[in-house]
Amino acid sequence: MSTLTARLLARAPAPADGLPKMPPDSAYRWVEPHLVLGHEATIALLIERLRRAGKRIRYPERCFFAADHFTPPATAERAGILKKYLEFVEDEGVPQRHLFQGISHQLMVEDARCLPGAVIVGADSHTTMAGALGAFAAGFGSTDILAVLATGAVAIRVPEAIRVRWTGALHRACSGKDLALDLMRRFGEGGAAYRALEFVDSTDSRICMADRLTVCNLAVDAGAKNGVVIPDEVTLDWLRARDGHAPALDGLGPGDDADYADTLDLDVTSLEPLVARPGSPADVIPAREASQEKLHQVFIGSCAGGRFEDLRDAAEVLRGHRVRPTLRLVVTPASQAVYRRAVREGVVEVLIEAGAMVTASACGACGGIDKGLLADGEVCISTSNRNFRGRMGSTEARIYLASARTAAASALAGRVVDPREFTP
Amino acid sequence: MISGPALVLGDDVNTDELHPSRFYSLDDATVRAGFLGAVGPEKRGIRTPSLASPRGSAAEEVPVGPVVVAGANFGVGSSRETGARVFLLAGVRAIVARSFARIFFRNASNLGIPVFVCPELVAPAPGDVVLVDLERGEVRCGGRTFPIAPPDAYWAAVCAAGGLARYLGLEPVAAGDRAAS
Ligand code: SF4
Repeated sequence: MSTLTARLLARAPAPADGLPKMPPDSAYRWVEPHLVLGHEATIALLIERLRRAGKRIRYPERCFFAADHFTPPATAERAGILKKYLEFVEDEGVPQRHLFQGISHQLMVEDARCLPGAVIVGADSHTTMAGALGAFAAGFGSTDILAVLATGAVAIRVPEAIRVRWTGALHRACSGKDLALDLMRRFGEGGAAYRALEFVDSTDSRICMADRLTVCNLAVDAGAKNGVVIPDEVTLDWLRARDGHAPALDGLGPGDDADYADTLDLDVTSLEPLVARPGSPADVIPAREASQEKLHQVFIGSCAGGRFEDLRDAAEVLRGHRVRPTLRLVVTPASQAVYRRAVREGVVEVLIEAGAMVTASACGACGGIDKGLLADGEVCISTSNRNFRGRMGSTEARIYLASARTAAASALAGRVVDPREFTP
Repeated sequence: MISGPALVLGDDVNTDELHPSRFYSLDDATVRAGFLGAVGPEKRGIRTPSLASPRGSAAEEVPVGPVVVAGANFGVGSSRETGARVFLLAGVRAIVARSFARIFFRNASNLGIPVFVCPELVAPAPGDVVLVDLERGEVRCGGRTFPIAPPDAYWAAVCAAGGLARYLGLEPVAAGDRAAS
C-alpha cells in the first residue's frame, strides 16, 4: 500500500530473536522500535513483572524515560511509585537526562533522535504526537511495553490510512488546537479507529510545527493508531533550528501508488475558533456559540497545549489585563525548555501579571493528578486534549477544550468566548 | 463457553470513566475500588441502586462474574493499563462490544481478559445471562444470537496463551487457569 505509515514501519530494525513465530495468516509482524517512551505512571506497572520474569531491559539505550505524571509527587503513595521507578531507571542503566525535564511527549520532540523516519512506541496514548515530525509513533499499554523492554519488539499491523490534506490559509486567531478540534468534530471519538492519519500541508500560510504537534497529539483521540505529517520544508526548517542541520527526506513520503482508505480535503480558510463541550473532545462547536456559564478555572498546559507558542498566544491576549480575583488561571509549561524560553522572552512575566499561577512542567491538572483539580459544579476551559467526565477531579465538574488564545480570552471574560470577538 | 450476567455499558465509554485516575495505584484494592468510578448514568445500564446516583461507586454493585456488554469504541482514551486490569480484579469473565478502542483492546487481550468484537450486538437487559459460544463463534443474549468477528491469528494465539506475557514466556501459566483448562 506504501502509505507513509507502511514505509515507516518497513524501516524499523529487524526483529530480535527469541520471539514466537508470527502465525502465518496474521496481519501482524514483530517490529523493533528505535525509541521506547515511558514515564513513572505506566512503567511502574511492569517493573515487578519484568523482575519476576528474570529479565532486564534488552536495549536500555532505546528507552526514552521521563518523570512527568507524579512530578513532583503530591501524595506519599505517588512518591513511592516515583521512587520505585527512579530506582528501576538507575538499576537498568536507562538514560536519565529526561527525568524531571517536562512532559514525555514534549521532551521526545525536543530530542535530536526524534526524526522523520523514526519508529517510536510509547507507554502512553499521546505518543502519537511525535508523528508531526514524520515519525511513526503510537501508544501502547504496559504489557506491550513489558514485551518491548524484555524482547526489543512489539506486534504491529500496518494500519489502513486516511489522507487529510489542508489547503487555504489559517486565520490568525486559529491554531493547531482548532485544526485538531475540527478533525475531532468530523471523525468523532472513534472515527479514525485502528487507522493512520496522514496529513499533507498544502496551505498557503503553512501550518507551523507547534500546530502540527497538537494535531498529531489529538489523533489518538479520534481513535487513530498514529498521526503523521508528510515531512516538508516546514519540517526541515524546524529541524535545522532544533539540531543545526536537517536529514534527507528520501523515501519519507507516501508512494505514488499509496492506497488510502479515505481522503479528506480541508480548506482551513473558513475555520474559526472552536471549543469541545464538556464530556467529549468530539462534541465541538464554534467558541462564539458556547454557553455563558461562569468559568472557575482556566488551564493552559499539557502535551497538547503547553508549548511556548501556546504560552505566547495566551500572553498576547492577556498582556496588560488581569483575570477576576476568584478565577484560577493555571499555566503549566510543557517542558523545562519551554519554561526557560517563556521566562527569557518575558512571557511568564505577562502571565503572572495577568494573575496566572505558573506550575512546574509536568502533567499536573491535565490528568487530574494535582495542582488545578476541579470541585463539584466547577467549570474549566483547558488547552489539554481530554474533557472526559471526572478527568480533572470531580465527576460533577465541566471541562471545555480550546486553544490557548481562546482559553486566555475566556479567562478575561470569565466565560467561554471567541477570541476574535472579545476585547477586554 | 463463557457466561455471566450482563453488565451493560454504552458507546464511547472512556478509560477516565471506567477507571478514574485517582484510583491509579500499585495496590490491587485501590485499583479495584475505582471500577466504573465515573461512568455517568447516560452510559450505564446496570440496575442497581447506588448506580442510579451519578456519584455512586460501582464497586460493590457489580454482579458476580459478569460479562460486560458494551457499544462502540469501548475503552477509548488513556493507555493506563490499570483501566483494563480492573476488569480482571472485578471478576469480569469477558467483554463483548460492538467495537473496541485500539489500546484498550490490546491491554485487555494482553492481560488475558477475553474480548470479543460483535459488530451487530444489541444489548440485553442488565443482568440477563450472556453466553459466549467460542466453538460456534457467537454471542447469545436477550433471546438473540450475534456473530463474533473472527480475531486476527496473532490475537487468537495471545488469547489462547492467557495473555501476552504468557505467550512470550515472561509469566508462567498458572495451574487451573483458563488458558490451561
Ligand atoms: S499532559 Fe495530560 S495527556 Fe499529556 S501525557 Fe500528561 S496526562 Fe497525558
